[in-house]
Order: sequence, then C-alpha cells, then structure tokens
Amino acid sequence: MKQKNRHQRRRISPLIAGDGQHRRHRPDYSLSVICLLLLVIGMIVVYAISPGLAAQSGLSESHFVQRQMIAILLAVVTFIVVSKLPLEIWWRSIKILLAVTLLALLATQVTGSGEANAARWVQIGGLSFQSVELLKFTLVIWLAGFLSKRHREGTVNDFHKTLKPLGLVLLVSGFIVAVLQSDLGSMGVVAGIIIVMLFVAGVSWRLLAAGAVMVLLAGSLLIVASPYRQERVMTFLNPQADCLAEGYQACQALIAIGSGGLFGKGIDRSAQAYGYLPEAANDSIFAVLAEMFGFVGVVVVIGLLVALFTRLYRIIERTPSMYSQLIVVGALTWLSTQAFINIMAMVGLFPLKGITLPFISYGGTSIIFVTAAVALAFNISRYSTFSVIEQSVTKRNQKQQKKKGNLRDNSVERRGNRRPHYAYPVRRP
Amino acid sequence: MQQTRKTPNTLARTRIWYVLILLLSAVVLVRVFHLQVIQHDYYKTAAEAGQMREYEIPASRGVIEAHNGDSVVPLVLNESRYIVFVDPLHIEDIDDAAEQLVSVLGAQDKAEVEQKMAADNRYQVIQRNVTKTVVENIEELELPGVGIREEPQRTYPHGSLAAHILGFVNNDGEGVYGIEQALDDELVGTPGQLRAVTDTRGIPLAANPENTLIEPQEGRRTRLTIDVSLQRQLEDALEHGLERARSESGGALVIDANSGAIKAMANYPTFDPSRFYEVSNDESDVFANRLVTSPMEIGSIMKPLTLAAALNEGAVRRDTTYYDPDRFTVDGATIRNVEESSGVGERNMEDILRLSLNTGATWLLKQMGGGDEINETARTTWHHYMTERFFFDKPTGIEQGYEVAGDIPDPFDGYGLNIQYANTAFGQGMTTTPLHAAAALSAVINQGTYYQPRLVDAQSDNEGAMQPKDPVAVRKDVVSPSVSADIRRLMEGAFAQNYRSYGLNNLRTGFTIGGKTGTAEVPHPEGGYYEDRFNGTFFGYVSGDDSTYVIMVRVDEPRIGGYAGSTAAGPIFVDIATTLIDSFGMQPRVN
Repeated sequence: MKQKNRHQRRRISPLIAGDGQHRRHRPDYSLSVICLLLLVIGMIVVYAISPGLAAQSGLSESHFVQRQMIAILLAVVTFIVVSKLPLEIWWRSIKILLAVTLLALLATQVTGSGEANAARWVQIGGLSFQSVELLKFTLVIWLAGFLSKRHREGTVNDFHKTLKPLGLVLLVSGFIVAVLQSDLGSMGVVAGIIIVMLFVAGVSWRLLAAGAVMVLLAGSLLIVASPYRQERVMTFLNPQADCLAEGYQACQALIAIGSGGLFGKGIDRSAQAYGYLPEAANDSIFAVLAEMFGFVGVVVVIGLLVALFTRLYRIIERTPSMYSQLIVVGALTWLSTQAFINIMAMVGLFPLKGITLPFISYGGTSIIFVTAAVALAFNISRYSTFSVIEQSVTKRNQKQQKKKGNLRDNSVERRGNRRPHYAYPVRRP
Repeated sequence: MQQTRKTPNTLARTRIWYVLILLLSAVVLVRVFHLQVIQHDYYKTAAEAGQMREYEIPASRGVIEAHNGDSVVPLVLNESRYIVFVDPLHIEDIDDAAEQLVSVLGAQDKAEVEQKMAADNRYQVIQRNVTKTVVENIEELELPGVGIREEPQRTYPHGSLAAHILGFVNNDGEGVYGIEQALDDELVGTPGQLRAVTDTRGIPLAANPENTLIEPQEGRRTRLTIDVSLQRQLEDALEHGLERARSESGGALVIDANSGAIKAMANYPTFDPSRFYEVSNDESDVFANRLVTSPMEIGSIMKPLTLAAALNEGAVRRDTTYYDPDRFTVDGATIRNVEESSGVGERNMEDILRLSLNTGATWLLKQMGGGDEINETARTTWHHYMTERFFFDKPTGIEQGYEVAGDIPDPFDGYGLNIQYANTAFGQGMTTTPLHAAAALSAVINQGTYYQPRLVDAQSDNEGAMQPKDPVAVRKDVVSPSVSADIRRLMEGAFAQNYRSYGLNNLRTGFTIGGKTGTAEVPHPEGGYYEDRFNGTFFGYVSGDDSTYVIMVRVDEPRIGGYAGSTAAGPIFVDIATTLIDSFGMQPRVN
C-alpha cells in the first residue's frame, strides 16, 4: 500500500523508509544546538588554560586555541556535509569504509613516532588523526546495516550468520585497539557499541549474558597483563585513602573537582591544569572544568549531555527503519559510553582513563567524528514513522479529553474523512 | 516491500539502555555533588597542600662604596654567579659525564670530579662562582644529574683594595671579617616572601588572590670614610716599606684627628676577597684586620701619651727639666734606655720624646704620683688615663669584625706592680691595638676630644636615601687644649730633629708634622721577651690649614739595621705623610 504524499516525492531508500509509513519533516535542530553549546563550553575551558599549558611545554600561547578553533570549524563543515548526504550512501560504500578503516588502524603501526601513545595516531604529512575514532564511526554504520539485515531475516541469534562475524570483528578491533594501541578506554566504547547494538537488534538474553562474561574476562585479562593497568585498578579499589599524603598523585582529578566547590574557582583560576593533571586539555578536561565552574558547571554539562542523549532516544523512537534506528542507537551508545568512561574515571568511579570527553575535550579527531555521528542522527531525525505519530496524537487527544471533557476533532481519528489520515501536522519529534 | 518495521521488542530494549544512561548520569551527578559540595573542604585543603608554595625572595646585599676625591665609587657590588653541582644518584655514566663537565669548566681535576660523582651524598658542589657563559655551555650538554644553582656573588671592582676593611661573604652568605661581618645585619637586608599557588614546576600562577607578596628590603648601601686613591697609595707605601725593611707583615692607617674617620687602613699581607676560598685554613690569619684585631705592646710611641697625661695632671710643665740617671732600679729590675742612649744629664720634655728615654717616661710616671717613686697614686692616675681617656681596654666600636681591646694591668694588684707600671709608661707590659693608639693620639693633639674611630660615612635608610653619620665625640676633656698645644709643639720639635733619619729630605712650609717612633720588644709566648725580635711602630700626624691626619704604622719584626721604629716604620710614615700633603688636597697653613 504505497502512499502518495508530497513529502514522499523524494525517493527514499527502503533502508531508511522501513515500512514506508513515514513522513519527512524538519530535522531536530536541537541536536545541533546542544552540540554547539558543548563545543563552546569546551572551547572556553581550552581558551582559559591554553596560555598556561602552552607555557609548560614551550608552545605558542594560542597553540591550543587555534587548533581547537580549526577543529570546531571542520566539525561544523562535517556536520553540514554528513547531514546533507543521503543516509543510504554509508551502507552502500561500507566496503570502502571498512577498507579505509582497516588501513588507518594498521597505518598507526607504521607511521607511529616515538612519542607517548604514538601508536594511536596516523600521520599524513603534517596532519595526524586518531584512527580509533574512524573505527567507531565505521563500526556504527556496518553494525546498523549488518544487524538490520539479520533482523529482517530473523537470524540475529544465528551463530554462523551473526555471532561469528561479530565475534571476529570484536576480536580484530580488540587486538588492534586494546593490544596494539593499548587503548582500553576506546576498547570499552567499541565493545559497548557492539554489545548495545546487538542487544537492541534482539539478541537473546542468554547470548548477551555469555558475551558480557566474555568481554569481562578479556578485560580482566588485559588488566592482569599490564602492571600499569593493575596499578590503576588498585588505586581505584583503594581510592583517596589520603589525598594529602601518599595518594596525592593518584587523586589529582579528585582534588581538581573537589576544590572547585559549588560555584567553582573561576575561569582564570585553575591550578590543577598546570602540570598536576595529565592531559589537562584532553582526557582530564572534565576535572579542569569542574575546578573552574564548580558543581553548577558540571550540572550544566551533564544536563546538556543528558539532553543530547534524550533527543537521540526520541529519534530512535520515531525513526521508521531498523537500519536508521540502529545507527542512532550506535551513535547514542558511542557518545554515552565515551562520556561516562571519561567522567566516571575523573570522579573515581571507574579505573580506566585515556579517553576524550565528546565535544568538550581538546582534539580535532574526536570532535569531528562525534559530530559526524550526531550528524547521522540529525539526518535521520527528518523521518518519523506514522505509528508513532498516531500514538502521540492519540495520547495527546486523550489527555485533552480528560482535561476538558470534550472530544476534539482530528484527522487521524475522524471517521469518514476521505482524506489520508497521515498529514496531520504533528510537532516535530 | 521490505519488512524492516521495528518490533516493539527493539524499542523496549532501547528504552532499557536509555534508562540505564539516565541512571548512570544520576549516579555521576550524586558523586560529583559529594566531591564538590560535601567533601569540598577536604579537597580544598588537599589542593592547597599541593599547590601552595612559599618562596623566599632574597634581598640583595648592600653595596659598599667609598670616596675617591670628590666622587663616590663602588668597592663591593653584587653579581649573579652560579654553583655547578651534581646529584650522584642521577649520574648515568660517571666517566663520560666527568669528562664533558671538566672540558667545559676547565681548571678542574677529572679524578676529583669523578670522586664527587660517585659520592653517597645527593648534593656535591663541583664548582662555585661560575659565570653565565659557562653555565650556558653546561646546559647545552644536557647531562642528567648535573644541576645549576644561582648564587649572588660579591664582586670587587678594585680587586683586593681595602680587603681587610671589607672582609668578605662566605659560602653560607654570612659576612665574615671587616665591615661585612660588623654590619652583616644591615648589609644583608630582609628577604621578602611570596606565598603562591604554583604549577608543578613551582612557577606561581598569577591570578590567584590567595597569593601574598612581601617585598624584600634591600640591604643598606654603605659609604665608607676611606678614600680609594689614598688607600691605594697607603697600600703601596706599606708594601714597599715592608719590603725595604724585610718584614713579612705590618699595617698602616690614616685617621682624621678631628672626626675619627678612617681615611685609609691596610694590612700586609693581604688577600683577594673574591677568591677568599683559595686561602687555606691555616692561613686564615690573613683575613684579619690586625690593626683592629691584634693588640700589641706598642713600645715608645706611648711616651707622648704618658707626657700628655703628666702635663694634663700638672705634674710637669712643658719647660720642666730633670736629672736623668740613664738607668735606675724599680723593684729590683733595671729600667734602661734602649734607643739613642746618651748618658746621664739634665733633660727636658722634648728630650724624652726625641731621645726616647725610657727613664724619662718612668720619671713622668713618678711625677704623676707626686715625686720620688711609683706609688699607688701614680699607678691609678696613669691607669685612669689609659682606660678612661685613651680607652685602651675597651673596643672602640669601629665597624670591623673581631675587634679586640687591649690589656692594661690592674693598678692595685699583681706581681711586680711597680716595675710593670714603669714599663707601661713606655709601652711595654700592656697591649693595645694600633687603632686605639692612633685614636688616643688624635684626641691628644686635637685639643682633647676623643672621637670614636669609624669607617662608615653614610648609610641608606629604609627609603634608600643616604643618611650621613656624624662623628661621635666620646670624651671632650681627654687633655686640656693647652696640653694639646704643648704636646704638638714637643712632638713637632722632636720630629724636626729626626726626620732625615726617616728618609724625609725637608719639611714643607705650611704643614706641621709631629711623630714618635717605637721599637717594642716582642713578648715570648713563655714569658719574657725575645732578645732579637722587635716590632717597629710609628705614629704621628700631618697638619695643614684646616685638617689634621694621624698616621699609624706598624712593622712586625723587620730585619734591617737600626731601631725598628725609625728605620722600618719611619719611612712608611714619611711616605704616607708626603702622599697626604701632595695628593690628598691638604691646604697649607698661611701665616
């Protein structure tokens, strides 16, 4: 039953359209607004600590600010491009995407210089980027396409068709990210994306539990294998025994956050950023922010993140196809696990560090790729399935009925109306 | 039509994940609230413990300057120098590190450096007083375990000039010897303090209102009374004079008789204060300003002072004559004349000085007691002069380290009191410093005012403005003005008859010079005196139209023929007196 509607004049891939009972409308601009606010907050913190940080390492005073400005500009361009590109293009070019990703991951092993964590970076000329961010992006696209196909076929729980290839992907990426690049934080995000998307695609609880146990085992194995990680876990299990004495180094982040207080020390008053916190502008930026702006600032940032997650969840509810739903689930999982791993590590609720806080941390690669993920969701937010529209309209009417006691006429419920019932102007989801 | 319609199952599972996210957010918020609000004070304390550092801002040490004619020139300045040290714990390759370090530092023994690099200690000084250029070369080597520390250093634009007056600042930053020791508290200043939130390198972060700063109070700028060119000429005269007299040590000073201001003062041998550390421990005597720190038996130069006391007491008059037996016995010991022995006969007061009659001096002492013998009155009167008018037994208070007062025998008690007092009348059996003697002579010839000898002409106050120091008149009636005039006439008369023997060819018109030699026996450490060792002393004065300078010279154990006072010390006095007249701007008296 093909519907004719002016909104459907544009040919939309069935991949996106799902059962076809959807309509196209304005995208969810609040997504871009929230992202922009988070970027600005990050920029303010980077701007405040840039001169001091630069002085520590002998760089020019505006080094960090300039590079962050460029990163944000590139992110805006990325957002516009990704939100304009047809959604199905990603799945169509998945083979190229996978090849490029694999190449980039392996290139880190070739081009990595002698610097710390050099194995995480790809150097092309004067530019460098963190290949693991591309992996997360590609993984979301591939899993969405792959799992929606399996879901359609009803073979999500099929060992040979689904679980084996997934396990292979998990193993390969796990080997590269966790072992070669020694980046357990990112590995957590990658594992989170795979597990949550599989979960949403309908894997059985039993298999899920088995997978979770395996991931936990692998994780503990990696921790046991490295004395440096063991130490981190030990400090985590035996937290701030005494921050004033021997545990001092271990709780620099706690000191930064705790000394910020309710309203913070002020934008120019961070001390912990200068040498006390490692990677003050990147991985530890949350602690610096908490020191500067206090609990109020933290509430604003977490509030914005929760708002972002909520918008993404709303889009998932309304989006017409499994493919698009899984993409947004992937993006949501990516952003949320990364944010939580980062913040929880800072506040002493999680032992692993070395991961950026989406949108806020200094660093071009992270900013550009999380923006791209949100841009995918932004693109998807243009489509809503009618089942949701009907539900929401019915709900609203019932509410109004209860309230006002009279039945309001509407196009969905109106009997005998020959016009199609779908064109009711709903609020954008 | 593809059937990819979402099942309610997938939405429900998405909701589970979303709720989980909300729960995690809530947990994080509660945790942050706990850290930032409930535990805030604890972490604030922890932050301050880690971030707050206190710094002492060193005050720069006061500059020392002196007159040079009409201008003022610096004698001691400050400069940044560096200490090169090693932390043996961080030295990786001792052989290589020592090799490189020695090649840059030069003048260092490699084996010695290696030994220091292997030491147990964590801080081994390799070299002090290293210049900026050398430090830059060392930094280029990037040797682990090799450190550089800045250390302010005293520098001396005039080299070793006035070294004894100045003293030096030791490696602990303390002034030792000379003015550096005496005025250490004023020169050192008050260090400032900075309490600041810093980064991990210890660099203060500017914006924190908790930062407190107390500015350092710089050490006081100190202007000495001495004149640099006179000082240099005095040092030259002293060195040449000692060489001529084949003496190993000695000293000389010039003091303004009318204010107590020291115009020049030097000892020989001397040292270079910028290289004080090159002097070994058993040679450290060289640092002392012996004119101030080492009392001696001054010998016959005491006679004018004895005479002044006798005149002032009215025991004798300027024109008194007496019969001199050339020798007599006191308490079984014989007093005889050493210098210029001229037999028995009628002597006047000038003869006592001119012929340096020990018997004459003893006779004067007897006169203070009323006549024929040395009695208690004589002893107490003379004791009173030596201690209460010439202040021989009290430190003068000059701004010098380690000042020592002399030793005057007690007039009431002791073995051989009378013979001892007889000796003190001509400068034996008691001790005092050359400075005390010069100050006493100043008082005797300047109409009777004892000025405290001093080296500081002016000093900066808290605002940095120079505040002149006034002369301190300790006692104004040491002798009466008429006695003062008598002594001058007698000393000038004695000098006029002897000056050729000191190497002066002729007296200058318009200037009067008075002087007295001394040849003192050197006490033996085990009692008694050496038979063949003498110290030559000389004190006298040059007087022009409006200024009078007392010159004091001491020559230790000269090995030259004749009496030490006249052949060894006399020429040095003459040299200095000539310098004062010729090139110190003294105006001749116009009759």
